[in-house]
Amino acid sequence: MASQPRPSRIWLPLAAGRNHTDGAEYRGAQAPVRDDLREAHRFILDHVRSPGTWWTGAERVEIAAEARGATRCALCRERRKSLSPGAVQGRHDGPHALAESVIDAVHRIRSDPARLSRRWFDGVIASGLEVGRYVELVSVTSLIAGLDYFARALGVEPLPLPPPRPGDPSRHRPGGAKECGAWVPMIDPADAAGAEADLYGGGAFVPNIVRALSLVPDEVRVMRRSSDAHYVPLAQIPDPTYHRALARPQMELVATRVSALNQCFY
Amino acid sequence: MAGETVDLAAVTETAAGDAGVEHGGRLLAFTDAAMGEDDALLDRERRALCAVLSPEAFIDACALVAAFNVVDRIADATGIPLDPMLHAASGDVRAELGLARFGSAANTPGAG
Repeated sequence: MASQPRPSRIWLPLAAGRNHTDGAEYRGAQAPVRDDLREAHRFILDHVRSPGTWWTGAERVEIAAEARGATRCALCRERRKSLSPGAVQGRHDGPHALAESVIDAVHRIRSDPARLSRRWFDGVIASGLEVGRYVELVSVTSLIAGLDYFARALGVEPLPLPPPRPGDPSRHRPGGAKECGAWVPMIDPADAAGAEADLYGGGAFVPNIVRALSLVPDEVRVMRRSSDAHYVPLAQIPDPTYHRALARPQMELVATRVSALNQCFY
Repeated sequence: MAGETVDLAAVTETAAGDAGVEHGGRLLAFTDAAMGEDDALLDRERRALCAVLSPEAFIDACALVAAFNVVDRIADATGIPLDPMLHAASGDVRAELGLARFGSAANTPGAG
């Protein structure tokens, strides 16, 4: 679906007023970034650049570049201001290496996630995007949003996107994925067996947010690693006494405020 | 969280107070700025937050902004419903916050 990404779109120029960092070392940051976060960020970038389940490494880096580019896209800006995002037509700022329907999905997820709807999703799939590819695209787009928001909060430039690794997607289609009330099929914890036996860590309660990407199991694994480092390990979430340098009420205040600003019901 | 009182309205409104949480006002202002587009405001709020928190706690705040921008997008883009157990446990809080007005509430039967 894509040609090789253009190097000029992979390595972002520095913007005035923000500190340059030395890759995921964050050496230019105002405060030292703890080791597990830096390791998680390196892991995420390496994951993004590697061949995935349905997309090549080059396509995944291009998806990441589009996710980042959506923050500066004129069409996305106009749509956010519109009562209905579908009322504003046009082309996203480009050029692009991916199909227009893919670009549109990435930009919508990055720039206006609160107004995604079942009808919109059905249209994306009807346009020819296979649901496994969609799930993988959601993961890459969301992970890059996380890295970019971390950099913005910290006051440094976003980490440069790495060059893609060569290779073919695995095309691994897990057994056990089925309709569970979400837009996309998911693997029920009771069906996580064989290659997916590790998927949920054996916990008694697996919330839907952990299952959401399970049609592409590797994306669950990287999302869990990301969440463990940035928030709280899955097994510790129900424990109100678990905290980091911030007290748990402070953590939940920030987390809930972000979700409220994103208008996310979940 | 047990035994502590948090001002829930502060989560969904522009609040001037601390929401019942130590340095809550600074944390909310920093979060709002990080989610916005005003770089100068974010610089001010970052400095103000760093003045009252340890460097490690400041990094935690940055990480939480990142984490929930990931999970919110995954939740909204996959159309997952809120888990019945969580829905039942948080019903009163969700009603108080008026979260059913969010479009993604449509993904959870009985939420809207």
